[in-house]
Amino acid sequence: MSRDAIAGLVVFAASVVLFALTLDLKDSPLVPVGPGFYPRIVLGLTALLSLGLVVGELLGRPRRQPPDAGLRDVEAPVAPAARPNYLLVALSFGVFGLYCAALPTLGFRIATFAYVFGSSVLLSRPRSAKGWAGALVLGLATSFLTWLIFERELSVLLPRGRWTDF
Amino acid sequence: MFDLLATALVNIAQFKYLVPLFCGTLAGVIGGALPGVTITMTIIVVLPFTFGLDPLQGLATMTGVYVGGSAGGLVTAVLLGLPGTPSAIATTFDGYPMAKKGEPGRAIWLGVWASFFGGLLGGAFLILATGPLARIALEFGPWEFFSLFIFALSMVAGLVEGSLAKGLVAGALGLIVTILGNDPVMGQKRLTLGIPALEGGIDFLPVLIGVFAFAQTMTEVERMGGGRKALAAVETGVKLTVSHLKVIWEIVSRPVLLLWCSFIGVLIGVLPAIGGSAASMFAYDQAKKISRRPQLFGSGVPEGIIASESSNNANVGGSLVTIMAFGIPGDAVTAVMLGALTIHGIQSGPLFIQQNAQLAYGIFAAYLLAHVLMVIILGLLARVMLRIVSVPKAALFPVVLVLCVIGAYALNNTMSNVYILLAFGVLGYAMVKFGFPLAPFILGVILGDQIEINMIRAVMTDPDPWLFLTRPISGGLLVASVLSVAFAVWQHRRQQKKGIKPVEDDADF
Repeated sequence: MSRDAIAGLVVFAASVVLFALTLDLKDSPLVPVGPGFYPRIVLGLTALLSLGLVVGELLGRPRRQPPDAGLRDVEAPVAPAARPNYLLVALSFGVFGLYCAALPTLGFRIATFAYVFGSSVLLSRPRSAKGWAGALVLGLATSFLTWLIFERELSVLLPRGRWTDF
Repeated sequence: MFDLLATALVNIAQFKYLVPLFCGTLAGVIGGALPGVTITMTIIVVLPFTFGLDPLQGLATMTGVYVGGSAGGLVTAVLLGLPGTPSAIATTFDGYPMAKKGEPGRAIWLGVWASFFGGLLGGAFLILATGPLARIALEFGPWEFFSLFIFALSMVAGLVEGSLAKGLVAGALGLIVTILGNDPVMGQKRLTLGIPALEGGIDFLPVLIGVFAFAQTMTEVERMGGGRKALAAVETGVKLTVSHLKVIWEIVSRPVLLLWCSFIGVLIGVLPAIGGSAASMFAYDQAKKISRRPQLFGSGVPEGIIASESSNNANVGGSLVTIMAFGIPGDAVTAVMLGALTIHGIQSGPLFIQQNAQLAYGIFAAYLLAHVLMVIILGLLARVMLRIVSVPKAALFPVVLVLCVIGAYALNNTMSNVYILLAFGVLGYAMVKFGFPLAPFILGVILGDQIEINMIRAVMTDPDPWLFLTRPISGGLLVASVLSVAFAVWQHRRQQKKGIKPVEDDADF
């Protein structure tokens, strides 16, 4: 089964499940249609469209799209086609997930320093002491400057850590 | 109208507004010049900086980003052959050959001044058309608004290149996001999936930030280590000095080209979710068609640069019209601006210009002044820009994502928006990998609540569903929706028959 058909099936399954959940919603006496009315239309339409995608794909009508067809931000046209580094993407998402988890416990300043340092090292492993120092300075500078600009200058609150209390 | 504009120009020229406008324009020029960083990402990064500012300061900053970004892409497009933004792709066709022929200064300044004049023509349309269009929209009832939003959504889904089915599914997925959490009419809980964070519904800004920031950064991350040419080795000693009067004369002596390409830019800007890239490509194609020497296009002719750059900056004016008159974002940048308005408690849509005349004219003034600042910034920094664009992405991307976290967190000071950002970041990247367009998805997320609210209002006013079809404007818009999808189906089939490979959708949404 092709990638598009799988995507269509996932969307179809999700819309059917959500549609079933809307059947439990009680109608409101104040409006002629209840809170489930519009979601049922949307979910029914989505189920039909995704089913159309699956059927169309199985019948072989739509052509396969290039992998980045959804992204409008075109990069340099001369960039050589390299094999996508999905491991790096997965690790980057993982590190970002850890950052999100650390924010409420360690607080913005420590978590941001650790994230920026860790992420920049992950994306481009330093090959010298100067490179490591650069990553360290980047982490410290980002953490300090964002805190200074947002919390001190613009009065935008940043996450505080339960463990660190700042 | 002109009194208000003059007052707004004087107001925006004050230090208090000029500094954020300058900073925004500078950020836009730099973001636009960085290959792989688009105007959308730049405005997402700038968004949290506007939270602590007053509404006009914030919107002036964003307008500056938009104007600066639309022109910034031309620097690398001309000097390196690498378009900084999708809207500068067409500029490379003639800008880069002209620079290679030993006229980099002429190529750059043709682009800068064409952006300036195109932008001003777009500004004239913005100022003159927003009010009358908003007055027309004021006559709309819930039936018409419902149909207008459906029309916008169907047009975006239909206009995406590639698979129409995927465009429609993406739009429907965007609508699903808005039905999770609560009912926007009565506030009743629904489809929370047992997640407390969903009980208040999902804010569209963390969704938008997550989808675009991750879709773009992770697509770049997956290419890292692929042997891409480093920009650091670029020649930065190029001479960019030119006679500005001569360059300006080269542009204004082609009034038909300038006006027609700016008109194309404005028109495409008014249509939701078709960005500057489509405008510049279409304008380039038109310039070639109306030229007496089309065979020279691509070899470094000034017409190619003028067409591309005038249209992509005029496009900004068109995009701002739709958001200010109808509350429908013309692209991702105006979608973020819409979010910024919401944060400051300002309702966009037809009443915006009437209820917030000072703010609306402030945006017009900021738009006009941003073009002047853009010329100054590019004049001072064009050469330095080549050094700026060599900043390593390993350093840039973590900082960008930290700013995205701040933007999401600061919306209501809760971590739930940060988790939503992450969840939609994963979804956005997955959508890109599965070839689903992001534009209809985002428009679905933005318009979903309004579609539901207007539908329920219409039914509450009169339960007759035929009114959606029998009221002339509403019916006309619904017919137009069907026609736009039918046209897209016809176009896709025709392309299939001819064996034309669909072009990647380059809209800046």
